[in-house]
Amino acid sequence: MMKRIPAWRRYARIFGADPRADVDDELEFHIETRVEELVAQGWDPASARRQAESQFGDLAAIRQAGEELHGRRRRTLERRDWWSGYLHDVRYTLRCMRRATTFTIAVVLTLGLGTGAIATVFTLANTLFFRRLPVDRPEQVAMVQATKERGRMPGWVSYPEYVHFRDHTRSFAGLAAHYSNAPLFTTIRNQSREVTGAVVSANFFPLLGLQPALGRFFRDDEDAVPDRDRVAVLGYDAWSKWFGRSPEVLGAPLRINGATFTIVGVAPEAFRGITIQPDDVYLPTMMSRAAFTWCADSLAVDCRPFYMIGRLANGRTAAEAEAEMSTLLPTWWTGQDGGNSAIRVLPARGVFHPDLSRSEERRFVELLAAVAATLLLVCCANLAGLLMSRNMARKREFAIRSSLGAGNARLMRQLATESMVLALGGGLAGLLLSRGLTAALNALFYSADRSGRPIYYNFAPEPRVLFAVAAVSMLAGLLAGVIPAWRTLERSGAASLKQPRIGRWLAGAQAAAAVALAAIAGVLAVSAQALLTASHFDAAHVALLRIRPRAAHYTPERAQQFVRAAIQRLEALPAVESATMVGTGAVLVGNNAQAALPEWIGTRSIHCTYLRIGPRYFETLRTPVLRGREFDQRDNLQSPAVALVSESLARTLWPGGAAIGALVEVNGRPHQVVGIAADVTLQNRTEAQRPYVYTPYWQNAAQVETQLAVRVKGDPAAMLPEIVREVGRGDPDVPIGNTVTLAADMAAGISSERITGAFLSFAAGLSVVLAGIGLYGVLAYSMSHRTREIGIRMAVGATAAGVRRMVVREGMAVVLTGVAAGVGLSLGGAREVRHLLYGSGAGDAAIYAAAAVLVAAVGLLACWIPARRAAAIEPMSALREQ
Amino acid sequence: MDLVRGTLDVLILKSLVWGPLHGYAITDLIRRQTDEALLVEEGTLYPALWRLETKGLLESEWGISDNNRKAKYYRLTTEGKRRLREETRYWEAYAAAVAKMLGATRPPLAEEK
Repeated sequence: MMKRIPAWRRYARIFGADPRADVDDELEFHIETRVEELVAQGWDPASARRQAESQFGDLAAIRQAGEELHGRRRRTLERRDWWSGYLHDVRYTLRCMRRATTFTIAVVLTLGLGTGAIATVFTLANTLFFRRLPVDRPEQVAMVQATKERGRMPGWVSYPEYVHFRDHTRSFAGLAAHYSNAPLFTTIRNQSREVTGAVVSANFFPLLGLQPALGRFFRDDEDAVPDRDRVAVLGYDAWSKWFGRSPEVLGAPLRINGATFTIVGVAPEAFRGITIQPDDVYLPTMMSRAAFTWCADSLAVDCRPFYMIGRLANGRTAAEAEAEMSTLLPTWWTGQDGGNSAIRVLPARGVFHPDLSRSEERRFVELLAAVAATLLLVCCANLAGLLMSRNMARKREFAIRSSLGAGNARLMRQLATESMVLALGGGLAGLLLSRGLTAALNALFYSADRSGRPIYYNFAPEPRVLFAVAAVSMLAGLLAGVIPAWRTLERSGAASLKQPRIGRWLAGAQAAAAVALAAIAGVLAVSAQALLTASHFDAAHVALLRIRPRAAHYTPERAQQFVRAAIQRLEALPAVESATMVGTGAVLVGNNAQAALPEWIGTRSIHCTYLRIGPRYFETLRTPVLRGREFDQRDNLQSPAVALVSESLARTLWPGGAAIGALVEVNGRPHQVVGIAADVTLQNRTEAQRPYVYTPYWQNAAQVETQLAVRVKGDPAAMLPEIVREVGRGDPDVPIGNTVTLAADMAAGISSERITGAFLSFAAGLSVVLAGIGLYGVLAYSMSHRTREIGIRMAVGATAAGVRRMVVREGMAVVLTGVAAGVGLSLGGAREVRHLLYGSGAGDAAIYAAAAVLVAAVGLLACWIPARRAAAIEPMSALREQ
Repeated sequence: MDLVRGTLDVLILKSLVWGPLHGYAITDLIRRQTDEALLVEEGTLYPALWRLETKGLLESEWGISDNNRKAKYYRLTTEGKRRLREETRYWEAYAAAVAKMLGATRPPLAEEK
């Protein structure tokens, strides 16, 4: 029936199928066959044709439909062809890579180091800013945050305010209150400790869609009457730590701040609370009086311990909810000074953070990203050099392939594919490396807060991060691959002459980046040290701890007695040199206060750091008292109010120098100045010197909590247990927390500086090594092509030393240009990190010089090896070679 | 008799069971096989063929026809054969159900509740 078409005609359309001709041919055949039939039946040919066409239908429309269908099919086939071509390229690349193992390992490692750093930054940024809470439908969950001072400061709400919002909002399907990170003094199985807990409304867990790991969460009626239902839910970790995951935990008693609670349930394993501090215990809001001791009545309308978290109603956005909530502000919010004035609704992403703009954290991550990007560029430059040398070595292979008919575009595609495959390999290595880097970062900075309490950041990778890393490594591969590929394909003889020149540019750029990274890393490291040994205090040998007698329901008088007795016992210890205390706020850091002269009568004031300090404070911290005296035991509630001011405040208030004996108003109350202390320089280089004002601890009747500072003779960390024991002897029920050395506390306070510093050191070390390798590669390659030239030079009388000198001179010209550019770069870069720098920066010039010398020395080493090899060339054999 | 919508595809598949055919032969075969009861409109045949080819149920090849012209021959793919079996089963069940309904002489017995 069907005769086969002759073989040659089957290929008639091999050069591109023509869908239009195909369709025409097919339809024409149909009509002609019909015409033939009709003619055979006796029609005349012309009317037979008309009849056949009219019988067929709308020929034009059918033809068009056919062309479209055929065209589409052909495009699909072409796409499939193209991809299979790619697959071929990839297979070919993998084959080549197996043959060049060393090269492949070098490339994958170099790229891996670069992408590893940036993957770490991505992971960090994802956790800080993007990760959702581990709850049901987290995209609907939003933080509802009161704000003060025109939205600049975060605010808290009181329980009645929360109820007001909860009962009026329509944008939220549910609104819960939580007071997280409550320090709770608990006794479990006769063991007392301070733990972190959260006070939450009964709808908190249902709103988040959580299911208890054991038992149940709070019933609504358990959160209805103040102080009635003493029920608690345990965090999963606390359940494991304290009860070994025994089911008998249900119904077990738990003493919290002196009251006995019954455990009714355990929170799920994945949920550790809203904040970075894992919550070990949850209590209902109606029991908040047991947990929140900073107000007389934590449920009163003027006591504000709570944050709010809500689940948006279906289809509502955070912006809509914010607009609605802003119309629901309590009437008493308007007009109050320094109180809440607005509401913000923020999608719950990243770690919970009350700082609204999070500008500092953002700046910190941006800085890390800049460092990682610089390192990645250095890696790219290094790789480009490596690929260039390799492509030159493969010239023969390319020549063969192109003589076999592969076009430039085809070879380019092959090279691009190779770059991509290498890039993906590098990306994978980078991800592995970043696992290690992230683990180190987590262990060093993100597993405990300043005072040693555990915190939790989830750094597990998410698809978002993997995607970004893959994209960046591809981009890096492309960046590193494109110049070498282009150079290789330039057929002109000039290409091989140009190649080393580009290689030198790349080597110089690497040297510049290495100098900049090393210099800034050095400046940061020295400055972090400068903060710890900053002028006018000595952080070594000082131990800190915080006591809260009021949490154990002490009266102010009993609390003062407790502190006095504790100080006396501590000072009696042989290893203790002196002990002192600070009320509300931390040692050195303090609180804020307004200082003014009485004659200003409230028209102006100076914003100061304010500390209420015990006797021997300055002695303990080694801050010099320049004039007058330190506070002593006689400065108490019965004696006149006195104050000490810092040197800079004294200069501002009394330029004439008549400070001692003068009156200063601290937060509106007059105090007589009895002494001037040296300035404590905690500010970074973008900040001005902070003025300090001090008043006696014993002149404040209502201390809520107290930080003790103890100067010891030996290692303060080793002394901490003994100090805690001695303080606890007064009353085991008084919570003792935040036990830490001052040095560790201050180091934790500049953790972002230290992370940046560590990261920079990593990048700097790596880039110095890479710059050395890059330079070596370029020189070694160019020497290998100049064997003949050097042979001739030596044959006409150049000495070995002369050749050595020539090679070193050529190499060092590149290095020194790079180093000079690098010093310029680091001056610019150091300006970008001024907010992380402390101290005067007097020694910075020496650090720049040291970085320059270091890179130059590495460069010299990189030149020396090829130079020695060049000098060892035997002129005769070199000439014979070709 | 006009075609019920959706039947053309299955008729084309069936007509190719005995071997490759060109479009003209397909219309011819359907017409004769159904004793001229079903008339395939020529204009709709070709788009249907191309659609089936795009779906991978048919494949085509240029050949020489009986009247010695260049014609495009269609043949069933494995996928096409499978589809034909499915469609045949479906049509048989459908036709039987319709026949049962139209051939009924009295209403069904009331169902027990």
